[in-house]
Amino acid sequence: MIDAVMTVAYIMVIGVAVGAVAALLQKDLLRAVFLSGAESIALAFIFQALLAPDLGLTQAIVGTVLLPGIIILGIFKTRRKDEDD
Amino acid sequence: MSAVATNLWTIPLFVIIPIITAILLNLLYNKSRTIKVIAIASSIVLFVLALISPYGFQWFTGQPGVTPGGTYTFDASIFSYRLSLEYYFGGLQQILITIMSLLLVFVVFLSASSLRKNIGPYIALIFLLFMSSAIIIMVNDFYHLWIGVEMGSLLLAGVVAASGESISQKAALKYTFFSALSGAGMAIALAMILGVTGYSNITNAIQYIMSDNLSSLSGVLYIAFGFFVLSWIYAGGLAPIHPLKSDVYGSAFPHATVMLQTQSKLMIVAMGLIILRLFGTLPFAREVMLSVSVLTMIMGVTMALIQTDLRWTLAYLVVAHSGLVTLGISLGTVQGITGGLFQAVNDIVYMSVLLICCEAVMYFGKGTSIKTVGGIAKRAPWLALAVVIGAFAASGVPPFNGFQSEIILIQASLSSGLPEVAAIVLMVSVTTFIALFKPIYNIFLKPDNSPIAMEGDAGAGIATMAMVQPTSPVPKSIYLFLAILIAIIIVLGVYPQLALGFVQDTAIKVVYFPWVP
Amino acid sequence: MIELTLQFLSFMASALLILIGIAGMLFLDNLIKKIIAFTLLSDGVNLALVSLGYFEGGVVAILTPGTSVAEFPQNAVLIFGPGIVLTNIVIGVSTTAVLVALTMVLYKRYGTLKASKVLKGERK
Repeated sequence: MIDAVMTVAYIMVIGVAVGAVAALLQKDLLRAVFLSGAESIALAFIFQALLAPDLGLTQAIVGTVLLPGIIILGIFKTRRKDEDD
Repeated sequence: MSAVATNLWTIPLFVIIPIITAILLNLLYNKSRTIKVIAIASSIVLFVLALISPYGFQWFTGQPGVTPGGTYTFDASIFSYRLSLEYYFGGLQQILITIMSLLLVFVVFLSASSLRKNIGPYIALIFLLFMSSAIIIMVNDFYHLWIGVEMGSLLLAGVVAASGESISQKAALKYTFFSALSGAGMAIALAMILGVTGYSNITNAIQYIMSDNLSSLSGVLYIAFGFFVLSWIYAGGLAPIHPLKSDVYGSAFPHATVMLQTQSKLMIVAMGLIILRLFGTLPFAREVMLSVSVLTMIMGVTMALIQTDLRWTLAYLVVAHSGLVTLGISLGTVQGITGGLFQAVNDIVYMSVLLICCEAVMYFGKGTSIKTVGGIAKRAPWLALAVVIGAFAASGVPPFNGFQSEIILIQASLSSGLPEVAAIVLMVSVTTFIALFKPIYNIFLKPDNSPIAMEGDAGAGIATMAMVQPTSPVPKSIYLFLAILIAIIIVLGVYPQLALGFVQDTAIKVVYFPWVP
Repeated sequence: MIELTLQFLSFMASALLILIGIAGMLFLDNLIKKIIAFTLLSDGVNLALVSLGYFEGGVVAILTPGTSVAEFPQNAVLIFGPGIVLTNIVIGVSTTAVLVALTMVLYKRYGTLKASKVLKGERK
């Protein structure tokens, strides 16, 4: 039986994989951080579908606000672009 | 003292007192006198608690084990199902926590007198380091074990980076990256054991593995064993990644290294015993652990031989001597485990003597390299005596304590039919002496012929140094600490039964009743 | 043939995340990217632990006023995995904070984020 939650969860599984690969392929570090935040949102949906709603909430807050916030702070204090040489 | 049948009141205090102290010190931040008073008072309270505490359990929610028949039992040796989260305080825990809290008093004192700013957060970190080590040595469930290891490595990074040199920040960054990797590995190992056995309590998991036929799932157990050994290696700084840990030891302040090496010895002991209890029945488990420890010893002493700085010699010797501890544990016999645990106790004490001497040498203002300092023995004869006693104890010369544990280790490996391992233990103790002899001779005995001191007589030399690099005299308290530690060294060397009584019990339980904490 | 259930797919996703994370931490040269790879790795471990406790037709392991207490233990998903995950999320945040702080300090000293330059040994 496939209902709406499950369908979203299946899409989110793909979203997690794509987001993770895409995040590490970026040259722009800020964009990489945002992509990893998007991956966190998808992960929160999967947690919801796996019957752990409390973890879904925690992951949504931590993975999209707190972790990217810390890393973005680090990027602003260092540099934004990946060096090429 | 027999085990107490209710929740033991002292066990939570070992965790709560350091946390409350750390919070207070962090708030006080820079009021150095208040910080010193609070920190020393609370470390003395911890020492007294460890000394007088009875033995017993701490169950979260206060329930003892449930037997298969449905009744409650307090006897650990009876087959029972426990609540998952459990601490145990016994002989091994008592002696290790007592020594660690004694060292905590010294370390707090030394760091308060050598640091100029940010004293509050720094000592708070040291207290939290104590807390994480106490958790790891008392723990009997995977959950707290994993939390203790993760917290310990983060705190370690903080303590190391506090010394402010670029090399120490690099060491902290590298170590944190590896701690992230191996922490993830340990979480996966935890998930595997949880999936196979269904228990998070170590006692229950062992009972399940021993009583049920797991042949179809033993592959999972092998992988879990691999991840556990990986995190054991990283937490203790054993062979393949020993450069990370010795970088950490060498680049922190020597007094912080006293606490760091104590923490890693406790991690090695606790995790090694848990691996032995859980996976001791798997073939090759002991052989893997044995080869890791032999490799650690050989790598450690060879790297120690080529160093030209007392700090770095000691950093590699600490790693090499961790190999002695793991050797005893991985032999898996009662005698071997007794020797390994006794070696851990001795090792913590004599390495602390050497590291505190190293800290004292730094007060003379020229670092600890053999190229820059010399002739300390003339200015501080008692310090020279202490460092020589520490070196003798480390290289296993009677009547000091290193001799007693190394002779047990040699006998244990001979009776296990491994004479080549016994030869390596002997080689480690001889090489330790050689590796320590060079820096001790150059720093303490050789006359000071560095360029500045050559200009006039000794007094003028010191005066010039004082202008270049302001130094303060060696605090008198260092001599008191060294005297106490040397007294412990000699007492344990003459009457080894004093410590053996504490650790033998644990060794017998690990070999014959592995499910008993 | 393996059925493509949600549990199986999330195990696959977690394996992929763990592999990407480890590869990124070992082979990428940029320190910030190493940190992002670490967050991916810890996400993967979390996902593995959560999907371990899941089974088809279970209920959320939170006792709400409506549920019957008698059937709750059989129906609820395993709670220990999520218990670890909650801690792992917190530990992940603090590890990231420590890593970012050390990276900022080292950047101030060396002016680069390349791990091959920053972490080069300078022992004598």
